Amino acid sequence: MLGLFNTLQLGARALQANQLGVEVTGQNLANSSNAAYSRQRLVLSTSLTTPTAFGLQGTGVQVTSIEQVRDTMLDGEMRDESSVSGYWSSQQNSLQNAQTQLGEFLNINSTSTSGSSGLSDQINNLFNAFQSVATNPTSIPQRGSLVNQAQTLASGFNNASQQLSTLNGNLNTSVSNNVTAANQLLSQIASLNSQIAKATATGGSANDLNDTREQDLENLAGIVNIQTTTNANGTVDVSIGGTQMISGIKTLDTLKTYDPGNGQLLVGTANGGTPLTLTGGAIQGTIDTRDGALKTLRDGLDTLASSLITQVNGIYSGGYDLNGGTGQPLFTGTDAGTIGVNSALQTDPSLVQAAGVSGATGDNSVALALAQLGQKSLAGLGNQTFSSAFASQVGTFGFALSNANAQVDNSTSVTGMLQNQRDSVSGVSIEEEVANLITYQQAYTASSKIITTVDQMLQTVLSLKT
Amino acid sequence: MRIAGTSYTQSMTSQINSLAAQQFRLQNQATTGQSIQAPEDDPAGMAQALGLQAQSSTVGQYAQNVATLQNRSSLVGNALQQLKTITDRVNELATQSDGISSPDQLRANASETTQLIQQAVQVLNSKDGDQYLFGGTASSQPPFVAATDANGNVTGVTYQGNDSVTENEVGQNSTVTVDIPGENTSGSGARGLVSDSRYGADLFGHMISLQNHLLAGDTNSISTVDQPALSKDDDNILYQVSNNGAVQARLEVAASTASTQQSGLAASLNNVAGADLTQTLTQLTQAQNAYQIALQSSSTILQLKTSLLSYLQ
Repeated sequence: MLGLFNTLQLGARALQANQLGVEVTGQNLANSSNAAYSRQRLVLSTSLTTPTAFGLQGTGVQVTSIEQVRDTMLDGEMRDESSVSGYWSSQQNSLQNAQTQLGEFLNINSTSTSGSSGLSDQINNLFNAFQSVATNPTSIPQRGSLVNQAQTLASGFNNASQQLSTLNGNLNTSVSNNVTAANQLLSQIASLNSQIAKATATGGSANDLNDTREQDLENLAGIVNIQTTTNANGTVDVSIGGTQMISGIKTLDTLKTYDPGNGQLLVGTANGGTPLTLTGGAIQGTIDTRDGALKTLRDGLDTLASSLITQVNGIYSGGYDLNGGTGQPLFTGTDAGTIGVNSALQTDPSLVQAAGVSGATGDNSVALALAQLGQKSLAGLGNQTFSSAFASQVGTFGFALSNANAQVDNSTSVTGMLQNQRDSVSGVSIEEEVANLITYQQAYTASSKIITTVDQMLQTVLSLKT
Repeated sequence: MRIAGTSYTQSMTSQINSLAAQQFRLQNQATTGQSIQAPEDDPAGMAQALGLQAQSSTVGQYAQNVATLQNRSSLVGNALQQLKTITDRVNELATQSDGISSPDQLRANASETTQLIQQAVQVLNSKDGDQYLFGGTASSQPPFVAATDANGNVTGVTYQGNDSVTENEVGQNSTVTVDIPGENTSGSGARGLVSDSRYGADLFGHMISLQNHLLAGDTNSISTVDQPALSKDDDNILYQVSNNGAVQARLEVAASTASTQQSGLAASLNNVAGADLTQTLTQLTQAQNAYQIALQSSSTILQLKTSLLSYLQ
């Protein structure tokens, strides 16, 4: 038999255990809307048994641990998906920005001769203006209109080139900012590793620290794909692109950006100086957009502008203006960023060299050849016309953005499903916790009854002497 | 499967967002009538639509070219009609001026012929805007200048233009020449209106000759030299009138072709980038219903959870 005093202690232990149960439940309920939180569970076991004349007798309940309910495999999958999501989201954001800067939107209900806005329209309008001059070679208003259209197109190229160049610079800044954020997260993870190692060294648990670290790891994975290994003491080693960054509580290396020589920032290790080959995360998504679809678009615009300058000037410079002048270019510059219109024309449209013969002001052969250039397939543009080459570029760019949109949708679905799976294991169910709360409350009430009962029994025993 | 509290709200938010995005897209399609607005909507369709718009723009320009050329061709036709009236009268005067005509009659005819020459010069110096119609490509100055003697008789008409003419596009690989050079003595190229050595035409030379023969009372030369020569001029002008009619007919066909092509391209563009409104509105209704159901079920679930908590308490 335990005796009355041991039974009193049994009751006290039960009170403590159930009170702790209420506290753990309270912690769970308090964090029920915290997405990073993993629910905790009070693990109880029967306390040590005491040998008696009737065999081993129980001494009540004891708290074994406060356990965190977590599926490490799902955590790993979430981190991997976070890298995928970060990669495609950064591509989507960058490309949507580029789409806006390019300004090529369709309006099939427009009442103008062309229904889109942007360079496609402006290219068509230039060749139409050549046609108008060819039809009215001596008309000053038509020549003025041609100069205006040429200026509008040149400005359109300049604007698109400048905006896309600014976007390229912003993407470089984004790479730098993400590297800074990743280094901060690496530092936080190493610090959390240290705290977790200390907590586990004394036999305790570090549930809330694990939650914080897991969140940091997922945020880091969103920036750059990582490989992790969990050690026996609860710390996590982190590698990026095959280079170990964190080993236990030590930070071995950090990230830094470097310029390979073309002004387009890449990422390497700060201490080792090793260029890193990344396959996921926002940094690589940004780099791949900048050096992929965005570069293709910028190069395409430069090629288009360069071909336009060369081809138009090749024909135009052989023409004669209304005063017999010849040999001047229509376009200046070499690419989309620098293309401009011969400044002399802006003040005097009579200088447009539309005639093929000196002194024959009504001759339109040069203007007609320029108008027909718009329908010509050019080797430098992949045997396409100017309009179709630009339409192809827009299509190619659209495919990149459309693919990024689809990948983001897929990733969002996968992330949602993984989150639901993880929540089904680690998430807090309010109904479940309230039920637990009632259980602990009733057990606490029942345990208190044991104490009052034993107390009354002790009173009875003490009253025997009086 | 165990459902955590946050799973409800996350799923609800995600589903409602998705349905809201779907409604936004469909609403946009319904109001604009377009299924494609940006490259990301349908990259291949966007590229195709831009190609169709470029074609439409080019065809639209051909239609504008045709309209401009029709106006010019009409001006040329009017001038030709006036010139034909003049040459008809000149031929009449030449026929009237025979051996039985009195000297006064011949002088009066000579005077009228002089006037008709001046009138022909005026007609042939007609302009379309700032461009002379019959000066070839040297169209910045009056193509014909008449010289007169002290008595006001025309002694010569000088041509200041050239024998080149412009071609203009009225369709893909289709060009039309509306202009007629005043003179062509080179033996090749476009047929001159008043003078072309290949066809024996020299209207001013022959009219001046008639004027001079009328002044001299040389009716024999009028009947043997001037009348046959003027007949060739008349044939030449009739050819130009006929050719002008043919050009105007071609321009009519080109205008009709451009109009048909534009309609066809607009239909193609609508097929590629236009929204099927019946389908869009049906889908929009479905999305709106789904959205309302999602909101309603979310609200019901949250109310049930609150009731459950009250029940548990």
